[in-house]
Amino acid sequence: MKPNLLRSLLIDLVIVILGCLSLLAPFIFQQARFPGFSQSTFPIMVSLIIVLCLLILFFESQTALLDGKMIALLGVLIAINAGLRFLENAIPGPAGFSPIFFFIILSGYFFSSRVGFLMGALTMLISALITGGIGPWLPGQMITAGWLGQSSALLRPLINKFGWKEKPMEVVLLAGFSAIWGMIYGVVMNLWFWPFLAFTPDLAWSQSLSLLDNIQRYLAYYLATSVLWDVTRSIGNLVIFAVMTKPVIKILSRFQRRFTFKYSPKVDA
Amino acid sequence: MRHSKAWIIWLVVTTVLLLTTRNPVYLFIILGVVLTLGTLMAKQKTQQPWLKPNLRFLVTMLVLSALINTLFTHVGESVLFTLPDQWLLIGGDITLESLVYGLINGLVIGALYITFNIFNLALSIKQITRLIPNVFHPIVITMTISLTFFPSIQRRAREIKEAQLIRGNPMKRISDWLPLLLPLLITSLEKAFLLSESMTARGFHNQRDQFSNRFLAISLIFATFFIFSGWILRLYAYPFLISFSFYLLSGGFIVFALFYANRKVNITHYHRETWSWEDVLSSILLVAAGATWITLLTTGNLPSTAYTPLPKLLLPKIQFQGVLIFFSPMLPLLFHHHD
Repeated sequence: MKPNLLRSLLIDLVIVILGCLSLLAPFIFQQARFPGFSQSTFPIMVSLIIVLCLLILFFESQTALLDGKMIALLGVLIAINAGLRFLENAIPGPAGFSPIFFFIILSGYFFSSRVGFLMGALTMLISALITGGIGPWLPGQMITAGWLGQSSALLRPLINKFGWKEKPMEVVLLAGFSAIWGMIYGVVMNLWFWPFLAFTPDLAWSQSLSLLDNIQRYLAYYLATSVLWDVTRSIGNLVIFAVMTKPVIKILSRFQRRFTFKYSPKVDA
Repeated sequence: MRHSKAWIIWLVVTTVLLLTTRNPVYLFIILGVVLTLGTLMAKQKTQQPWLKPNLRFLVTMLVLSALINTLFTHVGESVLFTLPDQWLLIGGDITLESLVYGLINGLVIGALYITFNIFNLALSIKQITRLIPNVFHPIVITMTISLTFFPSIQRRAREIKEAQLIRGNPMKRISDWLPLLLPLLITSLEKAFLLSESMTARGFHNQRDQFSNRFLAISLIFATFFIFSGWILRLYAYPFLISFSFYLLSGGFIVFALFYANRKVNITHYHRETWSWEDVLSSILLVAAGATWITLLTTGNLPSTAYTPLPKLLLPKIQFQGVLIFFSPMLPLLFHHHD
C-alpha cells in the first residue's frame, strides 16, 4: 500500500472513530446519559468536535483539488446541487424528499472519495450561505453529507469487480445505496438533536438502563418524530436514481475524459 | 459592530448562554434582545420582512416541542388529564410540568435559530468566506466559484424550465425534470471546462508545496483527541483542572498549527477588515460576560440557571448577575450604526 494512501485511510479512520464516539457518547459512556449534561454540554462539545473533524477532512481532501480543473468542475457541480436544494419545493414530493443526494453520491462514486466528501460537505455549506441557513445544525449536516459522498466511492471497486459497469445492476446498486443513506442521514442528524426534544423518561437516555434499552428508547424517539421524513427521503432517492442515473452517468463520463488534459510547460530545444 | 470576528465572539457567547440554562426568565430576556436586535438590523440591511418569519418559526418550535414532550412524557405532579394506558407511547398522565418543559425546549431552539439568523444578517457572504483560514485556499476558491456560478445556473434552469413548459412538458413527475437537468448539467460543465482551461492558462496549478502540510493534519487530530478526552474525563468527575488543561492544550494545538500553516501560504487580501473601537470594546465586554458566566456556572454560584419545572412546577428564581449577563448579547445594539 502506498504511504499516502495508508495515511489518508488512517486519518479517515481516526475521524470516523472520533466523530462516531462523540455522537454516540450517551450510548457508550454511562455518565453521558445524565439529562443535565445531555441538554447543555452535549450539543456544544459534539459541534466543536465535528467542526474540528471537518477541518481535518477538508485539509486532507483539498489535495484532490489542487489543479484548476477539479476546482472548476467541483465548484460548478456544487452550484448545480445547491440550486437543486431550491428545487425541493418545485419538484413534487412529500416532506423529507430532497434531490441533493443524487449528485453527492455520483461525485463520490465517479471521481473519488475525497471529491465525494467535498461535494457533500460544501453543498450543505454553500446552500446554507445562500439561504442564510447557517446554524448549529450545519456542521452535523456537512459531515453527514460528506460521509455519504465519501462512502459512495466504496461502490466503485464492487461494481468493477463484478463487471456491472454500465449495466442495470449499477443503477440498482446506486439506488439501493441512496435509499439506505436516506435513512442513515436522518438517524445521524437526530443524534445531535435528540437532547433538545427527548427529555421524556420514556424516550430519553437513562443512566440506570443498559445500552440495549437506551437504543430502544432512541428508536422510540426516532419512530415518534422522524421516521416518516426519512422514509420519504429514501423513496425519493430511489426514484431519482432509477430515473436519472443512466443519462447523467453518460454525461459525467464524457466530461471526465475531457477534463483529463494535462498541462506541461514548453521546453526549448 | 461590524468586524466579522467580533460577530463570531457574539455568536459563541450567545449560543453558550442559550445552551446552558433552562430558566425561562433568562431565556425570555435573551429572546427579547435577539428579536429587537434582528428587527433593527433587518430594517437597515434588507427590505424583506424579518420578524414575521422568525416569530412563525419560534411559534412552530414551541408548539411542536410542547406537543411531543406533553404526549410522550408522563411525569410531573399536576395532571391535566389521562390517556388510556393501552395507547402506545402516549398513554398515561398528561401533566402541566411536561408541557412547560416542552415549551422551554422550544424556546431554546427558537432563540438559537434567531441568533444564527442575526449572524447571517450581520455578515456578508464575502466576510463569512474570509473567515476560513488561508491554508484552506483551494476550498475557498471552490466555494467562490460555486457562489459566482449559482445565480447564472439558477437563471439557466428557469429558462430551460420555461422552454420545456412551452413545449408541453407538464413538469409534474420526476421523469419530467430530466429534460431540465440534462441540458443544465451539460451547459454548466461546458462553462466549468472553459474556466478550468483559463485557470490552467493563468498558472493555477500544482501548488502542492503550499498546501500539503502534514503538521497541520496531525496537530488538528491531536487537538480533537484532547477536546474529546477532556470532555469524557469531566463526565467521569475527574477534577476540572485536568479537563481544562486538555482544552487548553487542544486550543494551543489549533492556534499554533493554523498560524504555522497560514504563514506558508502566500495569499494577498483585498480590502482587509479593520477593527473599530466599537468592535474592540464590545468584543472585550462579550468575552468578559462569557468568562464570568462559565466561572459562575462551574463554581456553582448561579443556582438559578439550574431551573427545572420537575417534579412540581414552581416559579423560577432569578439572580442579578444572571440577568446582567443575559443582557450582554444586546451590545451590538448599543453600537448600532445608522448608515
